[in-house]
Amino acid sequence: MNQAASPAALFNIERDIPRMQDDQIAHLLKGVAGGDRMAFRALYSAASAKLYGVCLRILRNRADAEEALQEVFTRIWINAGRFDADQGRAMTWLISIARNHSIDRLRSRREETIDSSEGDPFAMIPDPTPGAEARAVAQGEAGRISKCFEILQPAQAAAIRGAYLDGLSYAELADRHAIPLNTVRTWLRRGLLRLKECLAG
Amino acid sequence: MSTRPPPPPDEGDDFLAAEYVLGVLSLPERLAVESRLRREPAFAEKVAGWAAHFAPLDAEYPEEPAPDLMPAIEARIFGRPQPVAERIPRRRWVFAALGATAAVAAFGVYLTRSDAPRILTTRIAAADGALIFQARYSTDQNVVTITRTSGPGPAVAHDYELWIIAPGNPPTPAGLVSAATRTLIVPKLSAGDTLAVSLEPAGGSPDGRPTKVLGAGVLSLT
Repeated sequence: MNQAASPAALFNIERDIPRMQDDQIAHLLKGVAGGDRMAFRALYSAASAKLYGVCLRILRNRADAEEALQEVFTRIWINAGRFDADQGRAMTWLISIARNHSIDRLRSRREETIDSSEGDPFAMIPDPTPGAEARAVAQGEAGRISKCFEILQPAQAAAIRGAYLDGLSYAELADRHAIPLNTVRTWLRRGLLRLKECLAG
Repeated sequence: MSTRPPPPPDEGDDFLAAEYVLGVLSLPERLAVESRLRREPAFAEKVAGWAAHFAPLDAEYPEEPAPDLMPAIEARIFGRPQPVAERIPRRRWVFAALGATAAVAAFGVYLTRSDAPRILTTRIAAADGALIFQARYSTDQNVVTITRTSGPGPAVAHDYELWIIAPGNPPTPAGLVSAATRTLIVPKLSAGDTLAVSLEPAGGSPDGRPTKVLGAGVLSLT
């Protein structure tokens, strides 16, 4: 958070959750999927601090984060069988559950809408692209995004990072970066376009 | 700000996928995306791609020792009495009327401030967890959106049917929910009402009563 302001330092995301811990969590998840309640408790011991960190950062309120964490572990119990170790890392899967639920809570708490006519966000055009991209990325190109962040305008990079980590809405991004609300979506998408071009290239 | 035109429309899906992963969308937009994820594999692939791109940022989340919420979580899932003092008042309903086949694997049980948005949700799960529905009710529209988040569709010549059970009242049919996602117009519902899903002969219950209840959940405020 309080690192130097250069993009490289700002996106010091090379630090990684140790692979060993991930194997352990994947193993526990397998137990949970089979209805093993001791594995579920062990999973709570192993992963709750990280997941609570996610909930707390996004919800910014301990009582709310505790409620969210209960729901997150409920979902983990129910959905553990859907985790596929071949498709990604266990901790990433758990964090996505915590992020998604925290963001849902946040959005239902402070409902904010933005003009969605801009940029045709709901174009229902079927996309024939096969699934190569997700697999390629999942197979370990994790460091690439940090390099790609460096080519963005610092404000756009900070906005993308703030949205992902803190659950900032478009309204909050507009406020924080002094961008008119009706153009913030286009502005962010421009950043995403550059990011995508970089990731593809 | 420059006035470069927005990206062409065929980029829209990819941006929408990125926006979903980032979390910037409103709740209705998020729900719309989640509904598409279940029926459009190509779109789901885009979301998975962006999720993988951004996943390294997860390392930035600090670890924060969590209180021991396991007793409350287990009570929520396994239905035990909670040995710890509860932070928020909760209501539970007896499911005896639903019969022995009914089981509630889990349900969202947080009741929040009275000024919270009026969206009620519940999870309806079969006893073995092999079949899960997620239901969402919006008080301003009187519609339930119910999505099968796990498990197969009904067997040949059968349908799933949704039921509404107000406390102390018999189940009333609310429509077939065999499709992966259905939106049904329903009477006014409140937190504490129960939604249940039954397995029926094709076309729905022949006698206005659930034939075989698969699972039930209590609506609560999110």
